[in-house]
Amino acid sequence: MVCGLVAGAWLGSAEAPTKLVAIGFSPFLISLGMVMGVFVARWTVPIALKGTRYVWQDLSEKPHLIVWAIVAGMLWAVANTLTVFAIRNVGLSIAFPLWNVNSLVGLFWGWLLFKELRGSAASQRLKVVIGAAAIVIGACVLASATAAGASQARHGAAALGVLAALGAGLLWGTMYIPYRKAYLSGMSPLSFVTVFTFGELGTVLTLAVVFDGGAARVLDSLKLATPALFWLFLGGFCWVLGDLFQQYAAKYIGISRGIPLSNTNQLWGLAWGALVFGELTDMTGGAQVLVVAGSLIMIAGAIAISLAEAPAAEQREWYSAMERECARYGLDRERVAASLMGSDRAHLARNSWRWWETLIIGAAVAVFVWLGLHAQVQAIAVDARWLLTLAAACLALLLGGGIFLWKRTRFC
Amino acid sequence: MKIALVKAMLTDPHLWIPLGVLAIGIALLGVLA
Repeated sequence: MVCGLVAGAWLGSAEAPTKLVAIGFSPFLISLGMVMGVFVARWTVPIALKGTRYVWQDLSEKPHLIVWAIVAGMLWAVANTLTVFAIRNVGLSIAFPLWNVNSLVGLFWGWLLFKELRGSAASQRLKVVIGAAAIVIGACVLASATAAGASQARHGAAALGVLAALGAGLLWGTMYIPYRKAYLSGMSPLSFVTVFTFGELGTVLTLAVVFDGGAARVLDSLKLATPALFWLFLGGFCWVLGDLFQQYAAKYIGISRGIPLSNTNQLWGLAWGALVFGELTDMTGGAQVLVVAGSLIMIAGAIAISLAEAPAAEQREWYSAMERECARYGLDRERVAASLMGSDRAHLARNSWRWWETLIIGAAVAVFVWLGLHAQVQAIAVDARWLLTLAAACLALLLGGGIFLWKRTRFC
Repeated sequence: MKIALVKAMLTDPHLWIPLGVLAIGIALLGVLA
């Protein structure tokens, strides 16, 4: 539950740096820039936390999950590119809640394929379903408030934008199948994302080359976009931190509970937009009431889900789903079960630092510093007081959630 | 990867759901681009 809430904060905050990117770049290029930042972060965070030997050992014990991780990365990349089209055609305020249906898609797959919500009392199931529905409804209310006064997109373009947002929701919701599959097999989220990112970067790169006029043109566009790349990388880095917590939530409480909780990211996106960037200053009193109502509905939904702890009967169903994976792929049941409880002794200890780990982390830091030196400060009014407040709140959540997760699971 | 593992993966019905959805997503991108 804690992981789901921290994920919401950081996934929502990931939008803030991307707001500073000047418009005029193609959706494929924006997606590519962000995923390049994501790629750097996805390699460095696991190496910093657990080391290369740990990741390698985890992957070599479950090699079939490499394919699943790449498929998940491909799903993420295509969905992310669809969201750029959706934002372009119908705006963030309408697109965001539409792709947040991913929580309902994830809930459906969790129930159908991984026996989540089975065996629990009707009241527990109801809490999760009502909570997930409340988060989607809250998102729609927020959308209707923030959409007020926005310019009307062309009818055809708007329909395609809605289709793109719903498509992204379907892809992201389905991406949780590989997530859950990996975690029911005892894999650590840190190992999973290290491979996941190859599917992600490879797909975005291919899409950019195919749809943006060839490799040479993409390279030229990237050179032109250099002043904006730092913000995209920073957005990607924040996204990775949020996504890691989302992965841990999917591992320890399942996708039907973890994903709706992390979808509270819209509240954080709204907070950054309204308080730091002053996006809602022109809003009428009625629209502001809708914003408060939508936010309260989402918070109520998150609370309903967090109160619906999986009872023993449901956990037995999870165990049978885990046994299916063990039987099919020849995994050690006891170790996988221990990993699902965050107590796989074989994976708890971190190996000593190796010289290439320092090199990889140093290279990542150097990339960020270099991009930072070439970054162009965008002429956007920012409320520094709220910026510091929200940044401090996110850091406090990251620190608190990270320490809690470390104590309970050692990041396994 | 062992052949048995590849076979287990290819006959896993769970695999074909994400792959099918991925194909839908790529087709949608083709329409939008």
